[in-house]
Amino acid sequence: MEQQRFVLEPGFVLHQHAYGENHAIIELFTRELGRVGVVARGVRSPRSRRRGLLQPFGELLLSWQSRGELGQLSGVEPKGMPMSLSGKRILSGFYLNEVLLRLVRREDPHPELYDAYRETLKLLAEGGAEGDTLRLFEKRLLAELGYGLLLDTDIEGEPIEPDVLYDYRLEQGPVRAGMRPALPIHGTSLLALAAEQLDSPIQRREVKHLMRHALSAQLGDKPLKSRELYAQRLGQRQEGRKR
Amino acid sequence: MAFSPLIQNLIDALRCLPGVGPKSAQRMAFHLLQRDRPGAARLADALVKAVDNVGECAECRLLTEQPICDICASPRRDRSLMCIVESPADVFALEQATDYSGVYFVLMGRLSPLDGIGPKELGLERLEARFAAGEVKEIILATNPTVEGEATAQYIAEMAHEHNVVTSRIAHGVPIGGELEYVDSGTLSHAFAGRREYR
Repeated sequence: MEQQRFVLEPGFVLHQHAYGENHAIIELFTRELGRVGVVARGVRSPRSRRRGLLQPFGELLLSWQSRGELGQLSGVEPKGMPMSLSGKRILSGFYLNEVLLRLVRREDPHPELYDAYRETLKLLAEGGAEGDTLRLFEKRLLAELGYGLLLDTDIEGEPIEPDVLYDYRLEQGPVRAGMRPALPIHGTSLLALAAEQLDSPIQRREVKHLMRHALSAQLGDKPLKSRELYAQRLGQRQEGRKR
Repeated sequence: MAFSPLIQNLIDALRCLPGVGPKSAQRMAFHLLQRDRPGAARLADALVKAVDNVGECAECRLLTEQPICDICASPRRDRSLMCIVESPADVFALEQATDYSGVYFVLMGRLSPLDGIGPKELGLERLEARFAAGEVKEIILATNPTVEGEATAQYIAEMAHEHNVVTSRIAHGVPIGGELEYVDSGTLSHAFAGRREYR
């Protein structure tokens, strides 16, 4: 296979595995080439200058050569201002990265998903509403991967009415709820998600529930580890309050 | 030519050391066998003894052959002050560089959900039990300034907050003798954001 060179491609680090003593295998998410795995030689050695740069959540310009499955990282530069998540928001960042690692295949470019990811990180870093920001990313992620949700009409093609309760059938869409809806959601929540503007606690709760199920359908049975950590933190906090 | 089984075995065993490849392992093996047999015996003896006896301190998880390490057992240490680090090597680095007089807690890693390392793997329930016991009044979070280290610091800070433990985080900044021009932008922006009043 011929060797290909990629120069200064915008991208993010999703995850890093140690490889040997000083090297690392890095999962990148690039705008033009999608997810790419590269070997970064010497990056874990104490004197490496790239070590600080190759952290998640900051946009980089990456250069690498590839011949087959894994590329070889040859250059890293920061792209613009470092925007980095801090404190509690890091867990949300881990969640985004884990979802991308699980759902986006290698070398399958999704420039629009990349832009959505970058915007999501920016919103998280700037202190936007955490839950809403994640929900909108999830919506765009599903749409970009070809599992977009039907939100403005029901499966008959009738426009969604705000005050009606629907039952959301994954892979089909909303139907007017019968006696025991499996995935109940009000018209107003569907419309709010379609408009990307969640306004009330009920909408947030229903949309979260819907997204959780829609994502699980794609993720399969293996639980998301970042979500477990998040749940543990919440559980711990509630326990603390009881005391 | 192949080495005899015992020599080959020794060479392979030496390769478990960091930074030792086949060639250096071979050099070490020949050195031990040709030039320094007593040294080899001493090394073997020391290894066996260390592996058999060294465990973790019951309080801070530092490596030690005693149930409680010297730092935790010392009456001169301030037990209300605790510094939390990722690895035993960090303890030695801090001991050599600072006049810190509190105790430590070694996490033996950092939170990394994508690798399946959660609070349980880091013994955080033990840490929380210590917060709950009330002896610790102040903690210094000295996890590495990586994304995972930061997530770990945040998690522990929340735990500490619930038990009303005062929390601080080590500063990130420009290295001494460094030049701003060559410092990476992440470090520089941290250093800038964390600037202090100066008189």
